[in-house]
Amino acid sequence: MLAVGDSTKLEIIFSTKKYKNRVSKRPRIQTNSGLPNKTVQIISHVVARPDSTYPVIIKPYKLNLSQFTEKVRDEINFNITNVSEKDLEIRLIAGLPEYFEVSLPKSIGAGKTAEGTLKLKKNHLKNSFDKSFTFELNDEKTSRFTVPVKRTVRTVAKPKSKTAAIKSKGK
Amino acid sequence: MKRILIASLIIVSLSLSSAFAAPRLTIDEDAFNFGYVPQNSKISHVFWLKSTGDDTLKILKVVPG
Repeated sequence: MLAVGDSTKLEIIFSTKKYKNRVSKRPRIQTNSGLPNKTVQIISHVVARPDSTYPVIIKPYKLNLSQFTEKVRDEINFNITNVSEKDLEIRLIAGLPEYFEVSLPKSIGAGKTAEGTLKLKKNHLKNSFDKSFTFELNDEKTSRFTVPVKRTVRTVAKPKSKTAAIKSKGK
Repeated sequence: MKRILIASLIIVSLSLSSAFAAPRLTIDEDAFNFGYVPQNSKISHVFWLKSTGDDTLKILKVVPG
């Protein structure tokens, strides 16, 4: 329920599966307005070989920040290689600042590699999620790239030490 | 007499406006281009939905496209 003047978020999660090339989806939103359903549209270009994209290649092309031990994993670095013959400027156009902070190089020289960093926010360290961020280049096509960010948290509680177990048995 | 007429006109206009009050959904940015994305991964985008009518908007369902 949305009062007059209020806003809410609608998160669309798209699983790229084995799709190839251009994929467009139009989820429909049904409301009590009595008007025809509104739609939102997502467009993507699914690539089977993310290690040979143009004009940049991202490594790793998926950022996995999963955590299976007590040791906190809250940061990951990635490389962006400019495989074109022109210097490129990079601009972050969509991210999730409540989940993570993305630092991107402002530009990458032709043939050069630059490093980016993604750092998780403290309030989401205990959560598992599948999110992403998108950046845009200033090439002729204003190419966009979306980098998936996955986090699975499964920490196993440490077993009690042997002496502690014996003590509790004796009680 | 004049006062009664004015009062009844106000009541009628108020009841008419509530009868025609309608919820309305507005989406400022209704399309997003992810660009290049790898296969076998999950990506997401957040759209903002705004209630711009003159009655409460209920979002009943989102049907995958």
